[in-house]
Amino acid sequence: MPMWKHTFLLCLALLVTACAPATPPPPAPATRTDLGAVKSYLLTKVGQLQTNTAALQAAADGYYSLAQDADFDYRVLWADHSADVSQLLAAAKAAWIAASPLYEQMEGIVAGVPGLAEYDLILDAGASGEEDPDNAVPFDLTLPDGRVLPKPGNLFGVTESTLWGTFAGFTIPAVQADLDGNGASDFGEVLPDANVLKAGAAALDDYVHGLAEAAAAWQPTESDAFTALVVMTPTMSEYFSSWKNSRFVAGEESTQRDFVAISRLADIQDILVSLQVLYAGVKPLVATVDAGQADDIEQRLDDLLLFVADVYTQEQGGKRFAPEEADLLGAEAQQRATTIAGQIAQVAAQLNIPLE
Amino acid sequence: MSGSMLKCQTLALALLLVLLIDIGQPIAVMAAAITAAGAAESLRSALVQAQLALATDPAGSASLLAAAEATYQATLAPGLDAFDPASAERVQAGFALLHQSQASGDEVAFAAARAQIWTALLAGSYHAVEVAVAAGDPATAQSWLPLREFRTQTRFSRANADATLGVMGLRNGTLAPAEALVAVRADLLDTYQARLQETLRDLEAADGHNFPARRAELAALAEGYFAILAPAYAGQRGGEALLAAQATLRELRAAAVAGADLTAARAGVEVALAGFRAAPLSPAERTRRAGQLLRYLGLVPVEYARGVSDGRVTRPLEIQEATTFFEGAQAAFADLYDLLAAIDPTGINEVAAMLKEIGVQVHHAGTGEAVAEPSIVKARTEQAVARLQAIIPADWQMGGGASDFDVIGAMLDQMENAVRAGEYGLAESARLEAYAVLETGPEARLMVFAPQIKQQLEDLFWNGQGAAKGLAYLLKQGAGLGEIQATRTVLDSQLQAAQTLLATASAPLAVLANAALIVFREGLEAVVILASLMGSMKLSDSRHYRKPLWWGTGLAFVATVCTWLLARGVLAALARYGEKLEAIVSLIAVGVLLLITNWFFHKVYWTDWLANFHAAKRRLLSGEAGLVAGLLALGFTSVYREGFETVLFLQALVLEAGVGTVLAGAASGLAATILVGVITFKIQARLPYKKMLVVTGVLIGAVLLIMVGNTAHVLQVIGWLPIHLIAGVTLPIWAGTWLGLYPVWEGIALQAAAAVFVIGSYFLAERQRSQARERSHRLSPNHSERWTLPNFGKEV
Repeated sequence: MPMWKHTFLLCLALLVTACAPATPPPPAPATRTDLGAVKSYLLTKVGQLQTNTAALQAAADGYYSLAQDADFDYRVLWADHSADVSQLLAAAKAAWIAASPLYEQMEGIVAGVPGLAEYDLILDAGASGEEDPDNAVPFDLTLPDGRVLPKPGNLFGVTESTLWGTFAGFTIPAVQADLDGNGASDFGEVLPDANVLKAGAAALDDYVHGLAEAAAAWQPTESDAFTALVVMTPTMSEYFSSWKNSRFVAGEESTQRDFVAISRLADIQDILVSLQVLYAGVKPLVATVDAGQADDIEQRLDDLLLFVADVYTQEQGGKRFAPEEADLLGAEAQQRATTIAGQIAQVAAQLNIPLE
Repeated sequence: MSGSMLKCQTLALALLLVLLIDIGQPIAVMAAAITAAGAAESLRSALVQAQLALATDPAGSASLLAAAEATYQATLAPGLDAFDPASAERVQAGFALLHQSQASGDEVAFAAARAQIWTALLAGSYHAVEVAVAAGDPATAQSWLPLREFRTQTRFSRANADATLGVMGLRNGTLAPAEALVAVRADLLDTYQARLQETLRDLEAADGHNFPARRAELAALAEGYFAILAPAYAGQRGGEALLAAQATLRELRAAAVAGADLTAARAGVEVALAGFRAAPLSPAERTRRAGQLLRYLGLVPVEYARGVSDGRVTRPLEIQEATTFFEGAQAAFADLYDLLAAIDPTGINEVAAMLKEIGVQVHHAGTGEAVAEPSIVKARTEQAVARLQAIIPADWQMGGGASDFDVIGAMLDQMENAVRAGEYGLAESARLEAYAVLETGPEARLMVFAPQIKQQLEDLFWNGQGAAKGLAYLLKQGAGLGEIQATRTVLDSQLQAAQTLLATASAPLAVLANAALIVFREGLEAVVILASLMGSMKLSDSRHYRKPLWWGTGLAFVATVCTWLLARGVLAALARYGEKLEAIVSLIAVGVLLLITNWFFHKVYWTDWLANFHAAKRRLLSGEAGLVAGLLALGFTSVYREGFETVLFLQALVLEAGVGTVLAGAASGLAATILVGVITFKIQARLPYKKMLVVTGVLIGAVLLIMVGNTAHVLQVIGWLPIHLIAGVTLPIWAGTWLGLYPVWEGIALQAAAAVFVIGSYFLAERQRSQARERSHRLSPNHSERWTLPNFGKEV
């Protein structure tokens, strides 16, 4: 072989030798569990939610049209169209009351999965820029009349406080409305600012559509499922804290804007249901580490749900919890939830599943 | 508690009891069926419900208490008596208190006794795990470990799993008992200290709300958690201090149960716990905290200066970031305080005072109370950093790998916050900072240990066009937060993978090998070009061209050494421009190499053969001065092209293993590179002239293609060249790293263009030679034998 060929081959050999990676690449994170049921659950719930936010938007649009016809003179509106207004607001409230639990039933997944969590901030968890700038929603709400509400808070909260009148700025306090015709203007019987209600309902419906698209594109991974369980399970004290401060416990002394239409205890149960769905998805994998522990975690989740359901049943039965009792119940729920999340985190570590 | 729930709970406990008694098995076997953790949890929750039922259903409350006690006696007492008699005694005393308070309907005393029992169970379990691990008995440790608490998790913090992994390591034989014990203690003591602090905060709140039973429960919990930490406290502060601390916690509980004012007792506890850290920091954690402290603190004045202008806050987000970094530094300082105070008590208190001052300045800027001049904050911070660097042992300041990832995470959080606020400029700045930390830190080791992750990280940080688009690209496009967070999620998982991988690869030998490989790989292209060219200049009339090459190479070495000698801080500041610097120098290098290639074919293949014939004319035509400058530039750019980045990487490795190890590695790499150069040169020199020319041409052409591919890649990384992926084509990572081959149309097209240029240049030279030969024939038929060489394979 001519010398130059030797040289060329030598250089080639040198390059090829040098090209060999120093260490084998780490294994790609593979999915060992079928999380299709979790995704199906999410898509079903988000589909139902879309139906109800659309109904809310339709009622809000109808109310806005009436207000527009009255040139936004709400006294005239109430005087001339009290029946229509009552009907539309009842429809809006019914749609809201149907929509909110549907969202809570998937919140454990939406808020816990990093790729979807932004929607939780927008729809249900984000504060207003005024209350808590660090945890504020990332959007401004532009009203049909051109006003802009900078970072107004999450959209379920905005629409709830508009419909039930827990935030004066979103309602028309000058008009006393007896929506149910019982001769008194009770809690929640207010005329909403039609601009805020229309914009809030439209934005809610828009973002729910966005969530539906994101959920359809979501490819659930084990890391997603474990992260959601570990992140969302131990948030009990937050929910119990808002329950403690809500009118369901604090009564008329409560100044809380949100969680007035539905007890936070109902929300907690709905969230726990979504976590049960998630856990059912990963339980077979947990069982590969320790079958007993897999059952134990499931049992503890069931017990936690029963515990909250029991408190809710008592509340619905008319029991008014004392603040200290509510505090103890919250601490107990938190204790149980922290242990469950801790156990799941231990399993994730043993399975080498990263938690976001 | 509702009646149905209470009955259900009592029934469950009774069933548990019946099951245990009926089995009639030894405790170890029973534990397999009903775990210690499960029994303890049933007991704990039953006692909570017994308390809730105390006022409304005393009988139900009493049966729950009886069932809970029976469960304890049947399942937990035997093990607890064996492993930790003191805790067993506390449990028994707790049950006695429960019975008393149950009989008197004293909910406050009931709550305190309940907390006493629970924390005594936790203490007993902790001791059982400790004893079992120390004895190398993973099965027993595993049966008790789940009876534990976890740090209360938030949306941003996760439960520690070190104890579980420690026991798992013991079981698998990958950890010795002593190592597993360190992991178990670090995890559990850290957890119980966190719970103690949290309990004291809750106690303050319960006191504020005047919740008597909650106050008593929380004070008793604090006392119980401290009992678990007591041996660590005594170990650090002595027996007397422990007795005093225990007395303050006893007073706190007594005051709470008595319904007395808690102010004095709480203050006493606060003093007793100040600066105490129960969990021993592992060497890795110590290093991590030291890295966090120095890095975070160093970033405070940087962010502060960006947020303040002309005595007022112009960018509040930057001040928020300064606050975040300051809080991070302060947390790390608190964790290290006791350890550093043991080294230099005076010095560390001086630092504490400086930190307090900086904290006030940053806080005041945040609230708008007062805005200190950035130069003042900077000077104070530099002073604190310098003092800390003098106090913190040198080996803690090395190997800041984990803290690098912490800082990267914090920077990326800031990027997200900035996007949330619509401040894309700030977001881009935070992204660049995060990348600079990666490049000046972990990237060096990733290059060798996980090049595939390095490339993915690069794509995700910059302009990658895969499923998750690069952050630089997204920020440039003004993408929404959701899209940016989606990329961030992928990036986080890659960073996590990198961190996990690198955590096992920081041994000095590994670092040495790292340094050697980096220098070898980065130097290979340069040495092949230089050696080939020099080897080809062996005729007397072309030897003088070696000089400019040597000069250029020498200058590049000097520049590289100067870069090395630059302070690390300056390097870190420049690191955010590292990719762009590499791109510019690479472009120059490719340009020069194209010129040289063209020159090579035209001059060496053709003109050199005419050297004796048309020497004077050729010098005029080829432009001697330009040629010399070109060779000088080639020598310089070939070496310095990778010089800056190599220095950044090596500096990062210095932080891992010290200068000596890295220089030894760099010297080995350099020696290997020089060896390749010498071999190439020698072989070139031995080859017959014509073959040598062919080999040189091929080598330079090959290196040119690699350089073009790599330069195109760098240009795409920083977004100066668009990216169009070749659908369906994937190439191994080494193809990119070593051959400059990436599955993108632009890179391949440019490489093809370079190849066309090289080959075209050759054929042009050939054509010109033919024409010259014809002319020569016409001028001087006697020289015909020199011009009728059929091919390069024929010897001259």
